[in-house]
Amino acid sequence: MVHVGSHQTDHPAKERASTVGSTLIEAVEVSAGYDNRRERTRLIALRDISLTVTQGEFLAIVGPSGCGKTTLINMIAGFVKPLSGVVRVRGAEVNGPGADRAMVFQDYALLPWRTVERNVEFAIENRRGYVPKAERRRRIADALGLVGLVGFEKSYPHELSGGMRQRVGIARALVGEPEILLMDEPFGAVDAMTREAMQAELEKIIAETRQTVVFITHSIDEAITLGDRIVVVSNRPGTIREIIDVDLPRPRFDERNDVKRSARFGEIRSHLWALLSDEALGAKSGSVTQQEGETR
Amino acid sequence: MTHVVPADQSTQRAAQTETITVSRYAPFRSTAITIVNLAVFFLIWELIARAELINALFFPKASAMFAAIYNGFADGTIWPELSHSVSNFMIGLVISIVIGIPVGLLMGASRIADLILSPYVWAMASLPRVALIPLLILIMGFDNSMQLTIIVLSAVFPIMVNCMAGVKTVDPSLLRAGRVFGTSRLQTYSKIILPFTLPFVIAGVNQGIARGLVGMLIGELLGGGGNGLGFLLDRAGDQFDAPMLYAVLILLAIMSVGLIQSMRWLEQRAAPWRDTART
Ligand SMILES: Nc1ncnc2c1ncn2[C@@H]1O[C@H](COP(=O)(O)OP(=O)(O)OP(=O)(O)O)[C@@H](O)[C@H]1O
Ligand SMILES: [Mg+2]
Repeated sequence: MVHVGSHQTDHPAKERASTVGSTLIEAVEVSAGYDNRRERTRLIALRDISLTVTQGEFLAIVGPSGCGKTTLINMIAGFVKPLSGVVRVRGAEVNGPGADRAMVFQDYALLPWRTVERNVEFAIENRRGYVPKAERRRRIADALGLVGLVGFEKSYPHELSGGMRQRVGIARALVGEPEILLMDEPFGAVDAMTREAMQAELEKIIAETRQTVVFITHSIDEAITLGDRIVVVSNRPGTIREIIDVDLPRPRFDERNDVKRSARFGEIRSHLWALLSDEALGAKSGSVTQQEGETR
Repeated sequence: MTHVVPADQSTQRAAQTETITVSRYAPFRSTAITIVNLAVFFLIWELIARAELINALFFPKASAMFAAIYNGFADGTIWPELSHSVSNFMIGLVISIVIGIPVGLLMGASRIADLILSPYVWAMASLPRVALIPLLILIMGFDNSMQLTIIVLSAVFPIMVNCMAGVKTVDPSLLRAGRVFGTSRLQTYSKIILPFTLPFVIAGVNQGIARGLVGMLIGELLGGGGNGLGFLLDRAGDQFDAPMLYAVLILLAIMSVGLIQSMRWLEQRAAPWRDTART
């Protein structure tokens, strides 16, 4: 495999800082679908998606259930081949997963026969992305600390709650310090309080490491508090309905300067809400959740 | 509640565990229950037989059966046959495992191997074993190798089919996790596919044991080799020796329960992540 990027040098963050703003991920008129050989039909999941993500950007993706968000992130990850169009990372066409991209899976995808710490280790022990054993201990401990799973190192996934499993998946994606984090509803199964704490933690990590994030969520508030831009995907076949710039100052998780109370936050929120309820009504399947009681 | 929870309060909490006391006698409790249970069973058996509710020709007293076991071991009629059967069975099982697991894994992993082999495997897996006896006698005579062959033919296919099913049903998102986190082809097998398949392998071997025991018995009953537990069973039937007949059945039951139990023990060792519902 080709080593894209040089994130394993001593100062990946510094290096990234110098290139912040340049195009990192690029999708050009991409369509994707799934063939059903039995019925000889093809379900078009995404149509004509064009999108760029710049270095260091936090891109949030929202849209009704089944509109193709996972398909889009899977194309960037390199699991799904586009039917037409092209996806590029650093100018090179994506034709498989690479060391520069790590993923948090919507269905966690933990190895049930491994303990929590061994699951996290999985990201840094294989042929690609190998980290020497001596350093792994420290990295795993750090990653588990970040997601609040200290004390559960020796537990098996079946002994954890859904939200805890999800956090193992997040730790596994963070531990290798990849250049690009692909996160498919990473906080979908955790409670509101833990969720906020983890959002704050994620923002802090990103500010330090300058990682680029593509983040799928069903929560409007989460998209606004985390995203630099928000892509709204329409009903299937998914097209880009709108891309919204979130021009709120960072850090967003700052007790003295609560962005959620700002007028701008409210504006973006009601705009997004209108867009998504429009889409949801079109599909007759509400999939948009509103975090209750957060803005008053 | 617009307020952000400080990270170190809500995310850094450690696992809270308390020590619990487990009675020292807890492991023995189920053993004790089993012993009492069996004792009651044989006692009722004895009482029914003594009341002569059922013809003693079909239903001997439990005590007579135990006497038959004791005498059989004492005068050397049982032991040679038992050891013949057990060693034959174990050899047959080992051969089946050595052939069945790799072939099954190969069929699961390679479409071509599956396409080529599956007609034969499925035909052999579903064909009643007894149907093969005349052919095998024709080829191998009343030799021991005939009995061994029928054991292998009985046990190998369930093992193969289960291994294949295991590889084929590997969770696709685990394979994706492997690709994201950079496993090589070999690592994909050793770290994802094989551990995932292990429970299927064990289930296959369990089925192989059950089917192999049937194969062992039909080989000994119909093969006319003149040895093994099947032969004892056959002879006891011919001689209307009901206590001996029941004695052999009990020995067979002990043998199969012992094998199945040791597989369960192995399963708990090999796949500790699966014992969610147990204990
Ligand atoms: N492996 C697959 N085979 C066939 N169809 C698929 C497959 N994966 C997804 N689809 C279809 O593609 C469409 C888009 O699916 P996708 O998983 O991308 O949606 P999503 O936006 O992530 O939805 P959700 O928010 O519910 O996770 C769906 O209608 C689904 O039926
Ligand atoms: Mg999805």
